[in-house]
Amino acid sequence: MIMARPKPIEEIIDEIKDFNKVLIAGCDGCVTVCEAGGVKEVQVLASALRLYFTKENKRMEIDETSLTRQCDKDYLHELLDKIDDYDAIVSLACGAGVQFMAEMYRKKPIFPGVDTCFIGVTEERGVWAERCQACGQCILASTGGICPISRCSKRMLNGPCGGSEKGKCEISPDTDCGWHLIYERLKELGQLDFFAEPTDPKDWVSSRDGGPRKIVREDVRL
Amino acid sequence: MAKSKESKKVGAVMVVGGGVAGMQASLDLADAGYYVHLVDKSPAIGGIMAQLDKTFPTNDCAMCIISPKLVEVGRHLNINMITNTEVEGLEGEAGNFTAKLINHPRYIDLEKCTACGECSRACPATAVNEFNERLDLREATYMTYPQAMPRGFVIDRSICVGCGLCEKVCLAEAINYDDKPRQTEMEVGAVILAPGNGVFDPSRFETYNYMDLPNVVTSLEFERILSASGPYQGHLMRPYDREEPQKIAWLQCVGSRDINHCDNSYCSAVCCMYAIKEAVIAKEHAHGELDTAIFFMDMRTYGKDFELYYNRAKEEGVRFIRSRIHSIEPEGECDLLLSYVDDQGELQSEVFEMVVLSVGFEVGEEIIELSKRLGIELNQHNFALTDTSTPVTTSRPGVYVCGTLQGPKDIPQSVMEASGAAAASSALLNEVRWTETKIKELPEQRDISEEEPRVGVFVCNCGINIGGIVDVPAVREYARTLPNVVHVEDNLFTCSQDTQVSMAEVIKEKSINRMVVAACTPHTHEDLFRETLLEVGLNKYLFEMANIRNQDSWVHMSDPEKATAKAKDLVRMSVARAALLEPLEERMIEIKQRGLVIGGGVAGLNAVLNLAQQGFEVVLVEKEKELGGLARHLHRTIDGLDVQKYMNNLIEEVQTNEHIQVLTEALVVGFSGAKGNFTTEVLVGPGMYERKIDHGVTIIATGAVEHKPNEYLYSEDDRVMTQLDLGNFLHENSKEAAKWQRVVMIQCVGSRNEDNPNCSRVCCQGAVKHALELKELNPDMEVIILYRDMRMYGLLEDYYQEARSKGILFFRYSADQPPQASRNGDGLQVTFTDQVLNRPVQMSADALVLGSATMAADTEELASLLKLPRNRDGFFLEAHAKLRPVECSSEAIYLCGTAHAPKLMSESIAQALAAASKAGSFLAAEELRVGGAVAVVDPERCAACLVCVMSCPYGVPRINEDNVSEINPALCQGCGVCVSECPGNTIHLGHCEDDQISANLHALLEGVI
Repeated sequence: MIMARPKPIEEIIDEIKDFNKVLIAGCDGCVTVCEAGGVKEVQVLASALRLYFTKENKRMEIDETSLTRQCDKDYLHELLDKIDDYDAIVSLACGAGVQFMAEMYRKKPIFPGVDTCFIGVTEERGVWAERCQACGQCILASTGGICPISRCSKRMLNGPCGGSEKGKCEISPDTDCGWHLIYERLKELGQLDFFAEPTDPKDWVSSRDGGPRKIVREDVRL
Repeated sequence: MAKSKESKKVGAVMVVGGGVAGMQASLDLADAGYYVHLVDKSPAIGGIMAQLDKTFPTNDCAMCIISPKLVEVGRHLNINMITNTEVEGLEGEAGNFTAKLINHPRYIDLEKCTACGECSRACPATAVNEFNERLDLREATYMTYPQAMPRGFVIDRSICVGCGLCEKVCLAEAINYDDKPRQTEMEVGAVILAPGNGVFDPSRFETYNYMDLPNVVTSLEFERILSASGPYQGHLMRPYDREEPQKIAWLQCVGSRDINHCDNSYCSAVCCMYAIKEAVIAKEHAHGELDTAIFFMDMRTYGKDFELYYNRAKEEGVRFIRSRIHSIEPEGECDLLLSYVDDQGELQSEVFEMVVLSVGFEVGEEIIELSKRLGIELNQHNFALTDTSTPVTTSRPGVYVCGTLQGPKDIPQSVMEASGAAAASSALLNEVRWTETKIKELPEQRDISEEEPRVGVFVCNCGINIGGIVDVPAVREYARTLPNVVHVEDNLFTCSQDTQVSMAEVIKEKSINRMVVAACTPHTHEDLFRETLLEVGLNKYLFEMANIRNQDSWVHMSDPEKATAKAKDLVRMSVARAALLEPLEERMIEIKQRGLVIGGGVAGLNAVLNLAQQGFEVVLVEKEKELGGLARHLHRTIDGLDVQKYMNNLIEEVQTNEHIQVLTEALVVGFSGAKGNFTTEVLVGPGMYERKIDHGVTIIATGAVEHKPNEYLYSEDDRVMTQLDLGNFLHENSKEAAKWQRVVMIQCVGSRNEDNPNCSRVCCQGAVKHALELKELNPDMEVIILYRDMRMYGLLEDYYQEARSKGILFFRYSADQPPQASRNGDGLQVTFTDQVLNRPVQMSADALVLGSATMAADTEELASLLKLPRNRDGFFLEAHAKLRPVECSSEAIYLCGTAHAPKLMSESIAQALAAASKAGSFLAAEELRVGGAVAVVDPERCAACLVCVMSCPYGVPRINEDNVSEINPALCQGCGVCVSECPGNTIHLGHCEDDQISANLHALLEGVI
């Protein structure tokens, strides 16, 4: 799932301070689950903004809504009737949602309300961690189900490097060495022979190398 | 006539003593369908626990946890509190007793008294306040303590000057100077004795100078000093000059473990823990560094997680000094000099600013007299005589005992025994359940869904509590101007019985459908007003309370004008919210009338048998082929019970009881449902066929195992054995054992170390038991016990003394210098460091016996199936360490025996009975009320994000088959945590809806923003 965190409120105030009527639009998808942009966050943000502008004696009307997903046009359509009532929209969706909304409502300024961070997991309540960098060509089959692209700080394909110490990465004692994890897992699985052969360089064409990516699947296209 | 009367059992029980044990027994029995007469000689229930500041090992405020119980007892339809009353005599027999009571006059009519307190404020006469341990004064007209139950005042005529002032100021006309003692009688089927105990009076020790040195206080006085409601309002001060002490000493075993000053030989079982607690809490209260030192002989932190508490206290700097102090000498103006010999044998002196005497329990003369009047036998220490196998049964059939009259013990043990005594009573009276109880008939609820809000506002004067400060008529008239209000009135006492009657009339007459009472606190009065609504056919949630007393007139006494303005604000808020209140549906679901007990050891067997004797069907699931558990390896208890004979009888009784179904070689593989309606899947051997059992309650009695040591040559040398092995050896091969010349025992093997920091509680008595047995076999045998602290708590101390007098040798070792075992050719040798000589001692031994730890049975899978939390050692966690020691955090799942923590057989049996009591009370209701103010998920917006699942403190929400969160209304506690956490804001809580709270706040801030 895509993980995001709420932007500092000062940044959002700065985005909208020159308008008079703003809609805060949450997204019921990923950002709800990572507690950054769901209905609750919309309400909390809207209340905080109202308090701020009231205190500043500035006329500012702030409305709240949340869409099922901001990465689908059908759901974005729900705003069609009321979008003209607002001077600007603050979207609490991930970067994809913000952009899709901006594409759809070209005349409206759309501002991001969250910082989109990574594709990851909920390790425990309040702790989210990166697991995937969407490189476009998954190699987890040969790495014990642990991704060296996202878990190794250097994205090395043949690790660990000399900076691995007692299972931790040299960048920080709080960061596990991805390759140490891979080694331990492969040992448990009895697949240590993976280490005998060096891995060939990865074809990064499927990653950012080829510019903005797109999946076109004829089998499911209408 | 006499004959027919005798044969008929009475479905009522008399509980004598309203401390925490008496209250628990009363609540269990009243819930189980018996009418309870709770008799207490003092004007209020609550006992010693109400006097405590905090409680170990959780540091919970004692009053905070006991006051909900007080309120529950006070409001229970089937508990009749009879205070200021003593039991004069008891005639008849089990099932049908006649109790004779003397009701001492209270001089204030409880029916009329509203506890407004005007009488006390007017009273000119004062006396020492016993509740605050004589550290301050109270009026002659008084309430024992602010939360006292029954809620009402009393006049102490021994100091009352008869001035008549209280009579003049009492607007409720409750004062009755002519009140007289009365003699009454009542019929009951059983009696539970829970009169509690006194504490030792240290003035007997001349060398402690307790009477002469003001800064020498008892531990109970110190509890009051620490208490926020105590004489010093919770400020840590010493009595002499009300200065904060910087150095405090605790002297342990004052009045316990000694017989030199007509004191008591037994251990009082609680003082070590409360002294540590007091030291820790005192440090928290201190403004600067506080030096605390506890002088002790053996640190007896034997209870569940107590050792962790002890270790934490050491880390927090509490000093522990192993020495018994002989005398307290005055030093300077008011300081205190203690002299002692330290570990190295050096004489030390230290000056302290305050000394706390850790006084023990003592059975008072009154209790001895009471026992005589009731015809129950006491033991040599004047505690009620009971047997290991029947720990709550007195010598008189039908009379049960619990709490500290049974022996010195802490609160959880008292609470367990209280429930155990209730279970025993319930087994006796099962056939007359629900025959004496009262039932409240309520009219059908009126449908108000089509009605506009019609709010009635009742403003209370509370005598002059509110009316003396707040302009009540002005508040009343202001309420008239508020939206939706159709009726206003003010009352002298809105809570009085006659007001309830007139309120009901006006509600009907004016078709009021929302009620607002502006008075005191919902904490004490909400239920009363809700009942009034129910009686006129309105949903109880259509009620709102504005607290214009505690939050207004009391705190703004000096500014009546502003207090009146605030009262108007509070009323406006309540009226705004009231208009949006919705009736909430509560429905009844059936409770499956069957219990399931997991584990067929001594605890499980007792639980199953009692529940069956209470008339319920029970299924017992045991994973082994044979019933009996660990007790099958025990031969006799320290007090001489033949365990195998007892177990055989018990098993026979279980197997032949028509209500009990026993499944052996049975494994729990599935568990679903909720309280009242569980389904457990069991694989039953030898064929491993699957059984599904529907049941309403579950009891966990999975037991414990003895740790197999990997030190001291265990399993390398046959002469090295555990205490359990020794028990078997003595049973099978006593002739061989009689030939031994020297036996060495090592305690704390696998306990009180890094891996297993807790004390295993039973090993000290196990060692002493076997040591005495060996001495009996061969008086010339040398028996040596190497120990760290001899934890012979409570009455076990007797056996410790006996062992010492019989020449059994005790040597203490410290954790960092454990003994060593070695082989020298064929010989077995033990080396240890003698603490007095401070040098190693080596000796040969014919047998080396290890006091090995008691470990939790492997219940990982079961715990995850039942979703029950366990502590780090694998013992199941109770819902509350102090007051809910047999309940699991999930409702209708109970816990007993060593699955909870290591304990003695008698303690396991008491807890098994307690679990059966809880289970029986739950089943007896037959129906379960669910719904009301609970959380409800709107699945439309649910992102299945798991936040509710992760945040619920009770583990209730689950993601269902439709992939959305679902909250079982039968399990939801209505705490609202999930509601506030839900990122989709798609969970709402009945009676706490967003619009209701917004209306409340907007009404407050009207005109502000």
